[in-house]
Amino acid sequence: MSSALEISGVSKSFGDTKAVVQLDLDVPTGSLCGFLGPNGAGKSTTIRMLMSIIHADEGTVQVLGTSALKAKDRIGYLPEERGIYRKMKVGGFVGYIGRLKGVKGNVLRKRIDDWLERVELPDIRNRRCEELSKGMQQKVQFLAAIIHEPELIILDEPFTGLDPVNARVIGEIINELHQQGRTILFSTHVLPQAERICDRIVMIDQGRKVLDGTIASIQSQFDPRVIRIEPVDINCDLSNISGASLIPNSESKEHLLMRLDDEIDATSVLAQIVQSTPVRGIEIVKPTLDEIFIEQVTRSRGHEAAIQVRKEMSHV
Amino acid sequence: MSKTLVVAWREFRHTAMTKAFLIGALVMPLLMMGLFIVVMPLMLEANTTPLTGTVAVIAADDVFLDLQDRLSSNENPNAELIESLPDIVKNDPLASAMLTNGSMNNTDIVLQKSMPNELESLKEDVRDGALSALIVVPESLLRITYQETNEHLEVLIPSSFSPNHTDLLSSAVARTVVDVRLRRLGHVPADMHAMVKRPRVNATRLTLDGGEKVDNEAARRIIPMVFMMLLWIATFTSGNYLLTTTIEEKGNKVMEVLLSAVSPLQLLGGKILGQAGVSLIMLLMYGGAAMAGLITFALMDLIPISSLVDLAGYFTMAYFMIASIMAAVGSAVTELRDAQSLIGPIMIILIIPLALWPILSEHPNGLVATITSFTPPLIPFVMILRITASTETVALWQIVTSMVVGFGAVLGMVWACARIFRIGVLMQGKPPSFLQLLRWIKQG
Repeated sequence: MSSALEISGVSKSFGDTKAVVQLDLDVPTGSLCGFLGPNGAGKSTTIRMLMSIIHADEGTVQVLGTSALKAKDRIGYLPEERGIYRKMKVGGFVGYIGRLKGVKGNVLRKRIDDWLERVELPDIRNRRCEELSKGMQQKVQFLAAIIHEPELIILDEPFTGLDPVNARVIGEIINELHQQGRTILFSTHVLPQAERICDRIVMIDQGRKVLDGTIASIQSQFDPRVIRIEPVDINCDLSNISGASLIPNSESKEHLLMRLDDEIDATSVLAQIVQSTPVRGIEIVKPTLDEIFIEQVTRSRGHEAAIQVRKEMSHV
Repeated sequence: MSKTLVVAWREFRHTAMTKAFLIGALVMPLLMMGLFIVVMPLMLEANTTPLTGTVAVIAADDVFLDLQDRLSSNENPNAELIESLPDIVKNDPLASAMLTNGSMNNTDIVLQKSMPNELESLKEDVRDGALSALIVVPESLLRITYQETNEHLEVLIPSSFSPNHTDLLSSAVARTVVDVRLRRLGHVPADMHAMVKRPRVNATRLTLDGGEKVDNEAARRIIPMVFMMLLWIATFTSGNYLLTTTIEEKGNKVMEVLLSAVSPLQLLGGKILGQAGVSLIMLLMYGGAAMAGLITFALMDLIPISSLVDLAGYFTMAYFMIASIMAAVGSAVTELRDAQSLIGPIMIILIIPLALWPILSEHPNGLVATITSFTPPLIPFVMILRITASTETVALWQIVTSMVVGFGAVLGMVWACARIFRIGVLMQGKPPSFLQLLRWIKQG
């Protein structure tokens, strides 16, 4: 499969701060790739280099087989910092970006109407952007990113600030665009979001790539460390189980989660649980991206750093 | 190029086709032109309402008779004022038409000779409207030897009396007093007025090529300033728009969206081109208003066509210099107030031609003028001032050199601006220092 995005040995520093370090990235054409990492990991800097908005200090960047400068009209981009002309009318703003991307005349006008309908904003074409709610503005910005029907769509934190209903609408459109064969690079620091919609992920931390592959392949690389128990009595006492500890604040009233201690064999813990209390069900669950990422950080930067990252991500 | 034009059109449309611009930059000059073309004639028309009714006069017989003759004649009540005006105004058809408009034959009044003991009852008549006015000429004002007196001519009028009619009566009676004094001395007033009238002076410059050129002092001083101000207004207004729209695009974060569609150079080029259109409209509007004024006053012959051609050339040069500076500053800051610290020192340099105007206008081919006309970014402002102020043609080599140096500087400034722009547009936070801007030029 050919690559829509290819980055090789790319580094970028701002003064003494190394934002991206020797990053390699290969996104196959037609994939929906999550570009993940905590705040400040280097995601937006990498995306800006992909868009040729800033230039790498070293390394090569290829977008759709050429440089992003030459391929600008084939790329749709929703930046992390949302931008809009407040005094412009919605139709004027989307039309302006569309014309800059090479779409003209009636085709552009029809697309604007169709897409406004599609994002459930059919009557706002002649309203000034400043009159719209934040969520509506965000949907308009999303339209401006895709109005020219690009082959490659780069979305930097597309769901930030959207309510669940609007997030669903945008999520459905992203899926549709993916099914049409467009390549989508989707950046977020909310890992469960990516887990739900992406078919592959790239995870970076402190400017370095820490994970790259399909979700299934990544999950298979990590030893499952969480046991899901559905006891007959939810108030049962599992404090006597050695080699695992209860995960606090479990919201479910149907099941409990226990995390295995390091270097502990899961089968012995499973046996202890079954002997300790009657259960309806018990299983070793696949690690979530959150857990995989935390483990990866623990491996590369140590336990303290992992705790810090976990805190940051739980504040999202 | 097409993307640059798309940016240029948006920039032009959202600056020049807005209510604020239409009102501020277009409606105001149009109103000014309308004032000259429509309102002034209407005002002149209003001036011609005749003064009617009876005017009582308490004065000596010779004063009364002179005043009666004067008010029934066609004498211009503004004659004294006209005599005191400079030739450029006196010779102007419209100005003289305005000044001669309120002639005495616009009166249809009857003078009634009255006595000093009737003063109070006549005042009542004026208040009641039975009399149009009352004129009192104290005898002390008619003494034939000069003596300081605190007494005045009195013109008593009703509260609703027209100011023009007041002027008409005041002027007529004042001139009457002077003429009566002369007559009592045995002179013929008309002869005496002719004797004291200052002769007109023609200053003629003898040019080196053997020709003669009649000098027009007022035009020589005013027109260069007008040309320079035209350049200033047109270039700085649109330059200011360029500054604010760039800051706005940075402030509302739309810059990154734009840069995903166009390169920084395309964006900069489009913005500068779009505002060039705005600047041109300003130039045409204000220049047009000035031309309308000159045509109205029949003074168009004061501006040679070659000066308009020079204006076009130096306008282009000035615009690109100012625009590149403003775009660079706009890209480097995130708030308008931050721009002031960078614009301030630049403005001090650009204000030099204005400060030097008296010197440049007096010595348009002097050393200061010659040096500053080869010094970017002063070139366009100084050169247009020199060309229009100079009584001798500015040497062709100097015009050519200023054009070459000026447009060379434009290229350099646009290049430096582009390098600042491509770095600055993505910068947020604290504004850079001049030193940092220089570093950006080096890096960019």
